[in-house]
Formats: sequence, C-alpha cells, structure tokens
Amino acid sequence: MYLEVNGITVLYDRAMVLNDVSFHVDKGELVSLVGPNGAGKSTLLRALAGLIRWEKDTLKGTTLGKITLEGSVLFGGEEMMRLPSHDIAKRGLILCPERGRPFREMTVLENLEAGAYLVKDKGVVKETIDRVYGLFPVLDKRRGQVSGTLSGGERTMLSIARALMSQARFLLIDEPSVGLAPLVKEDLFSRINQVHGMGITILLSEQDIGFAFDLATRNYVMSRGKVIAEGRADDLLADELIRKTYLGL
Amino acid sequence: MLERILVNGLVTSGTYAVLAVGFSLIFGVAKIFNMAHTALYMITAFLIFVGTNQLGFPYALSAVVSVGATIGFGLICYALLFDRVKVHQTAVMIISLAVAMLGQEILLLTLSGHYRGIAPFVTGSIDILGVAVLYQHLFTVLGCLATLFGLWALLTKTNLGKAIRAVAQDSETANLMGINVSRVCLITMGISAGLAAVAAVVAAPLEPLHPGMWMLPLTMILAAVVLGGLGSIKGSVFGAIILGFAETIVVTAVPGGSFLRGAVSLAAMVLVLIARPEGLFGVVFEEERL
Repeated sequence: MYLEVNGITVLYDRAMVLNDVSFHVDKGELVSLVGPNGAGKSTLLRALAGLIRWEKDTLKGTTLGKITLEGSVLFGGEEMMRLPSHDIAKRGLILCPERGRPFREMTVLENLEAGAYLVKDKGVVKETIDRVYGLFPVLDKRRGQVSGTLSGGERTMLSIARALMSQARFLLIDEPSVGLAPLVKEDLFSRINQVHGMGITILLSEQDIGFAFDLATRNYVMSRGKVIAEGRADDLLADELIRKTYLGL
Repeated sequence: MLERILVNGLVTSGTYAVLAVGFSLIFGVAKIFNMAHTALYMITAFLIFVGTNQLGFPYALSAVVSVGATIGFGLICYALLFDRVKVHQTAVMIISLAVAMLGQEILLLTLSGHYRGIAPFVTGSIDILGVAVLYQHLFTVLGCLATLFGLWALLTKTNLGKAIRAVAQDSETANLMGINVSRVCLITMGISAGLAAVAAVVAAPLEPLHPGMWMLPLTMILAAVVLGGLGSIKGSVFGAIILGFAETIVVTAVPGGSFLRGAVSLAAMVLVLIARPEGLFGVVFEEERL
C-alpha cells in the first residue's frame, strides 16, 4: 500500500473533527473522499499534509492551539506524523488546498517557481514549467498576471500546477470543483484525469458526487468525522441506505 | 536652499527607506512588530563608534564587525524572545520595546549620555551641477540605493527571495511547497537586522550619537510604514521618501524647524490613519479562511 492511514483522530479543543479514521490508497489510484460539508474531509487532507501539526505548533499558547492529533500515516512505508509539513512535501505528498490558495501578489509564473522551491536543477524547473503549461494552457496565457486576479477554476489549476512543479508523486486535492461553473468543472475534470494519466496518485475530496464518482477508481464516504463506507461508485449507489442518508441522492 | 533640501532630503529619506523596509520585511514575513528595529541601528552606530574612536580600527573594519554583531544580536533576540511569543502580537511589541530600552540603558551606563560623533567615512566634497556635495552624503545616498536594489534583487530573483515572499503572503501554503517556514522567518530576521545595521553604516557619521537616538527614527519609520501601507515593501520606500523630504523641508525652510522634526511624521501618521487607514500601497485583505 502506498498511503496507509491508521486511526487518525483530530480534536480542536474538545470538538472531535476526525474520529479514528483509517483507509488506504494504492499506487496509481485515483481515490475520492466524498461527504457533506463538515464531514472532516478537509481536515483529513490537512492532517495528511502535516498542516494540522503545523497549525498546532504555530498557535501553541493560544486557545486555538489546543489541538489533539493522533494516529499514523504511512507513505511509501515511512511514518509521516512525525515529520514537519515541509518535509512531507519533500517526499512528494502534496496538498492542493481548497480554492487553490495561490500566492496572491505573485504572478502565475512566480507561483510556479515558488512551487519548484525544492528543485535545485534549473533545467528540470524549465522542463516542468513547459510540461504544466502544456497541461494547463490557460496558465501559459496568464503567466505574467498577478494570481490574485485569477478566476476560481484558474486558481485550482494553478494550485495543481504548482504542486506538480515540486515533482509531486501523490496529490491531495481539496474540493477542486467548489464554486465552479459546469463548463469549467468539465474542463477541470479532464485535466485532473490527465494528471492521473501521468502516473500520479491522487486523493480527492469532493462534495459533488457526480464529479467524484466519474473520476475516481474507488471512493470513501465520510460523515461526521468518520469513514462510513468504501467502494466503487456503482456499489455505493446501489446501497439504498448510503445513497439516501449520506449522498443525498 | 533648494539644493540643500534636495541633498539633505535624499540623505534622510534614503536612511529612513532602508530602515523602513527592514521593519516592514520582518513584520510582513514573521508578523513581528519589531519596536527594537531602530535600536539595532543605534547599536551598530555605537559599535562603529567604539571601533573607530576608542579602539582605533579603520572605519570599514569596524563597520563589517558591527554589522555582523548586530545581525547576531537580532537573531538571538528573535530565537530567544520574539519567536516564543509570536502568536501574541502585543507581547511581541512590548518585548521588543523592552529590548530597545534595555539597549538604551546599557549604552547609558557604559558610554554615558554624552553626544558623540563618528568621523566621516570619506572627507571632502564633489561639485555636482554647481552644488558642493559632501562625499559622505554621496556615500550615504549611494549606499542606501545599492542596499535597496540588492534587497529588490534578492526578493525577486532568488529562490530564497521567492520563499520569503511566499511565507509573507500565505505561510501555511508555503509549507506545502516544502518551504521551512520557521527557517525562512529566522533568515528574514537576519536580513532585517542587517538592513538596520547597514543604515547605521552609511548614515551614522551624519548623526550625533546618544542612547536616545533610536526614538526619532522609530517614529519616522512607523509613520513611513503606515503611510505606505503596513506590510508593503514598496509602500515603505515611498513613505520614507515622502516623510524624509517633508522632514527636511520643515527643518530647512521653517525657522526653528528642527524642533518640529518629530511632529511631521506623527502628523502624517495621524492624517493617514484618518483618511486612508490602509496606506498608499496597502492591500485590504478579505479573510479567506477555511
């Protein structure tokens, strides 16, 4: 197993956000994580990327910093929970945060260069920039534009491109389709598929069930901080209880 | 009189600009409101004084050693004090103010409160378009320009610079790029202290040295940073230039104007806060949290 998550529990003060979550992702899979708002999908991805730990360290000494974080995350056989977030990124496990979060005052190109922070070889950086421009031609068109002025879809694409710049092997994509128009969603859908086709393993959190189930090879359903079901789209949709209670279909 | 305003204005605003960008930089990146920033400037000036006047070292050697020592002191303050209370911004302000006052008292005890002076780095003057300009003035202005240009090149052209800007804009996301945020903050503190020290190297021979000399520049750079927009490097430079010239004009053109030096900056700060609280180049950030 490429990514093996065992018993992740996260408490903000006394509010339980993740309750003993376990799952796994194999190499080359595109797995989706679906569930309603507040199910803990974003927190789970943030925990995997080491951001919960970072948040805990940064806010230490304040009431917001009272965070409990337990469990184990094995990535490529190595324990991630002990590593600071920048070292997790170094292993190729990279989060594309919700709404992309580009560095707003930098241009698109500068964002990509910042993404390549870990890559010391200038030739590789140039090569990768050309590759992500091929994948996302709109970013090439906007290369000199300040990224704070990009549209929602472009921001999401920029965050995926930025992650690819650091030679990501495993992408955690948080709610890529949130707030996007249907046509933009379609476009993004095919681009994510292309990224997956490049041999990159993807774990994707999503509220749009149609978007997630069409894209993913396997799915996990989350609710109230727990993984409550796992399976292929057809099986999950065939289960009356899951369909009605958790997917709202 | 016009040429004196121009020369003195450039000297004053250049020094303020170098001080203000250093202050702005560490605030933008590590969210440290460093009230001891100009105290670092003062410490460098006194170290140079001790080096040249008391130990008899040449200016350049004293300057290099003093800059190094100031950067070291800044890093120690950061690691031992500021970094530990970073989440509480008020605590950072109070602690840094305490550091500045501690520096003042130590200087008062060891070197007494007399006004001192450092001999100019270079003596003599040059004729530029019919105006006699002291070499020291030229050295100060060019030194400030070179420093600002160097900082600009560092921030826009190097990998470290991009990391610094990434942390300033979104420190959480910077983590995801493999950027070690706490290390970048520490390096930025070193750069910020270095900028304060360089300002002293180029400008100290023009200033009377005394243990209270950190206060006026502090009010000036606070005003410059507010005028330009808190956290904006470009804004700090423009704010410093505007206030530097405003101060020079008041001091030169108004009779008894040197008593009004501090009033200019404080008046400017009050006006800006009333009329345009985000400053000239400030960005109003809408909160976009999860």
